[in-house]
Amino acid sequence: MRIMAYEALDFYDVDSLLTEEERMVRDMVRDWVDEEVIPKIEIACREGVFPDEWRVALGEMGVLGAPLKGYDCPGLSYTAYGVICRELERGDSGLRSFASVQGSLAMYPIWDFGSEEQKNKYLPKMASGEWIGCFGLTEPDYGSNPGDMITKAEDMGDHYLLNGAKMWITNGTIAELAIVWAKLDGVIRGFIVEKNDPGFSAPEMKGKHSLKASVTSELVFQDCKIPKDRILPGVKGLRGPFSCLNNARYGISWGALGSAQACFDSAKDYAMSRIQFDHPIASYQLVQNKLSWMLREITKGQLLAYHLGQKKDSGDWIPEHISLAKMNNVDIALEIARVARDIHGANGILDEYPIMRHMANLESVKTYEGTHDIHNLILGRYITGIQAFTRGA
Amino acid sequence: MNISVLLKQVPDTTAKISISNGKVDEDSVSKWSMSPYDEYALEAGMQLKEATGGNLIAITCGPERTKKMLTDAAAVGADTLVHIPIEGVKDSTHIQKLLAAAVERFDSSVILCGKQAADTNGGSTGPGVAELIGAACVTLVSEVKFSDGKFTTIRPSSSGIEKVMVDGLSVFAFDKGTSELRRPNVRGIMMAKKKPIESISSDDLGVALDSSSLVVNSQSPPPEKPAGQKFEGAEHVGEVVLKLRNEANVI
Amino acid sequence: MDFTVIAEANGDSLHPTTYQLIGAAASMGSNPTVICPNGTGAEEAAKINGVEKVISVNGDCFNIFDGGAWASSLSSLCGDIILISASPNGREIGSRIAAKKDIPVIQDVTSMTEGITVSRPIYSGKAMESLTITGSAVITLRPNSFEAALAENNAPINVVDQSADVKISIQEAINKASERLDVTEADIIISGGRGMGTIENFSHLEEIADTIGAAVGASRAVVDEWGMPHRMQVGQTGKTVTPSLYIAVGISGAIQHLAGMRSSKYILAINKDSDAPIFGVADYGIVASWEDAIPSLKSALSELQS
Repeated sequence: MRIMAYEALDFYDVDSLLTEEERMVRDMVRDWVDEEVIPKIEIACREGVFPDEWRVALGEMGVLGAPLKGYDCPGLSYTAYGVICRELERGDSGLRSFASVQGSLAMYPIWDFGSEEQKNKYLPKMASGEWIGCFGLTEPDYGSNPGDMITKAEDMGDHYLLNGAKMWITNGTIAELAIVWAKLDGVIRGFIVEKNDPGFSAPEMKGKHSLKASVTSELVFQDCKIPKDRILPGVKGLRGPFSCLNNARYGISWGALGSAQACFDSAKDYAMSRIQFDHPIASYQLVQNKLSWMLREITKGQLLAYHLGQKKDSGDWIPEHISLAKMNNVDIALEIARVARDIHGANGILDEYPIMRHMANLESVKTYEGTHDIHNLILGRYITGIQAFTRGA
Repeated sequence: MNISVLLKQVPDTTAKISISNGKVDEDSVSKWSMSPYDEYALEAGMQLKEATGGNLIAITCGPERTKKMLTDAAAVGADTLVHIPIEGVKDSTHIQKLLAAAVERFDSSVILCGKQAADTNGGSTGPGVAELIGAACVTLVSEVKFSDGKFTTIRPSSSGIEKVMVDGLSVFAFDKGTSELRRPNVRGIMMAKKKPIESISSDDLGVALDSSSLVVNSQSPPPEKPAGQKFEGAEHVGEVVLKLRNEANVI
Repeated sequence: MDFTVIAEANGDSLHPTTYQLIGAAASMGSNPTVICPNGTGAEEAAKINGVEKVISVNGDCFNIFDGGAWASSLSSLCGDIILISASPNGREIGSRIAAKKDIPVIQDVTSMTEGITVSRPIYSGKAMESLTITGSAVITLRPNSFEAALAENNAPINVVDQSADVKISIQEAINKASERLDVTEADIIISGGRGMGTIENFSHLEEIADTIGAAVGASRAVVDEWGMPHRMQVGQTGKTVTPSLYIAVGISGAIQHLAGMRSSKYILAINKDSDAPIFGVADYGIVASWEDAIPSLKSALSELQS
């Protein structure tokens, strides 16, 4: 029988604005996370593995590449995509990272910038979860500044030769293909690298304290030979990777709320049960203050994410809208996780409770897909017209 | 083959039940779900449909909100969705008559339902509908199969389980089934969205609902539990066991 | 109103519930007629106080349980108010007789007073419903909710032959030791913690579980340290359970364990430490070691069964 059904914190009934389809997708993912993810996530985290069954299940549910239309892709609304991210991240940010990378960073660039042959070859297999993709933009020395990347592609007549390295690549080691951004004659282009291409390797990065149930890798290109038909024809320059990142960041603005909700629920339940000085700690003012603050921030974040989803669906959005939501929602989620840990007292450091796992995960989520400070400056530039990322123009 | 599955929407079994003015307050129910045993009946129905190429008809009696449950049934593969609108609580006799009429209208070859609904905990619907349509009924089943023109099922017996074969039309009332419940997927959800729901009224079914001879006096919270009682020493075990039977009524 | 009781059998004699059904009818001022399907327990029934007469029904249809056939056979012999045990078979027969006679059936009633006013649990016991019956009805009574009648009577027994068509047949009987229930499915759970001493001592809890049809649960300590299977673990990182009765033996009641079982309807705690936090949530607490308490618990429960 279906176990205890989860009731998400939704103080302003924002979910009542979902369409029936979005609600059904939500319930499908929510039930799966309750039954298959939450009972197994702590072990996966301890062992540092991403269970392959989850890849299979996400493919079967049909949620990979959620907002993409055609080529056997789901063709859902952006709001539905957000809901999927939120429900997955209530389970674990690493799980949601898998889906974000697969859908927004690996499938999306093929869908938007690829040739017809590429779309037909890769998208159906990625939608079904049969093939995993990853996204190679960040380098060891180029994170917030991707424009100066040094990974290079050379046109050798009948093939391209790639040299360089990418780092912090989710799914890298388990992926069948990588969307790699490299400079061809000084211009950033996207290339589809397949795992067996000669000169390509994807070693796993070990020793993470965060996103432990997610695979993080380096991508190493040493005279990596790829056929000419692997270049993404439809885009040049940073617009390529940034279009992908916009979609992933949008999903994260919803996802972070899932993590925040999980932390809130655990903190509330714990505060109601934990007795000190003969009373549950939920009866003490300082604890109520913390819970009330969490309620306010989660509610604000939900409204932000929902309205952003509407704007994404109507096409009436700019990247700065996404920066605001990603930055805000991840920031409050991390603070909520920290305060939730505090409410749990010593018990909060055990993996009996999900708190510190979420807290550690959110440290990564705050940094990846555009750090908190970078999004801050994106908004600063929007307001003032003056870029403040670097010295000089 | 028409496989009819009788579904009931109930407050989710984890939802708090609040009482106001001597009645369970339905408006305060935060989540409505398909009654858990009905989920097993639906899964079994889907397996029968896949094995025989039949048509799965999901039928429910209830107010407007129950239509969402029918759409959820479509998302896992129900072909035909039938809503019999009723307002207010009707007693089991009324519901049985409506369902029996619907089941006959759709020329059902087999009828599946849960052993009892999670709200009323009654268990009268399956056998009652069977009686009204002159069919057999087997309850507490965990699976139903069809071969050589006959339905066979598994139910508990005094010494374990037994495999029962039925002659002719039957209702099967499900306990927890042996199969995992299938999940919907996005494709199923998108198709379900477009699936029309047939609304059939009691008049259309030719069922006259006479007033009930049962009067619901009140619904109330369960009796207050007495305060916790603590006893020193194992010599009190017998006394406590009797309290468990007589006070708590749990054994 | 005339009451009819349909007897429930247990092997070749009457199930204790039959005495409760008759007691319930008598408490309403009635002398019920008792119907004994297949004649089982007819002589025994005739001796029960309050019984006016016994109808012993013969028929081939009673060789197996086909609720429709039984109802067909018995229905015409029944009066206005029909009392049946709320066992699975009783509920089924009750539903069919009610549908046949176009009268209501009220299932799993726990009290009955003049009116006829009955009360029954709904929403899995989260609420109670009170109903008044103004006409004929079938009422199934929850076992052990009504006082049993005594046996000092000598009522007449009528024997009738009344079979009906059976529509089902048993293809295969599979005898199997019924698997012990999983903690998430059981209505009664008996759980052990560190206080049980060793994993071998769990056999005592298992015996009790088998006696009363309960599931066996375990605290995290026992799962982690003694190798009890994880699926038995109740608590924050195990299962969350909501049985009618949770018996915690040698479990201190740490917050992580409480998280998994505090929504149980009733909690019985047995622990030798009077200060154990579990006593804070227990409805019934017994301060005793398991070695002292468990044998008494076992015999008290067995006695109840018989």
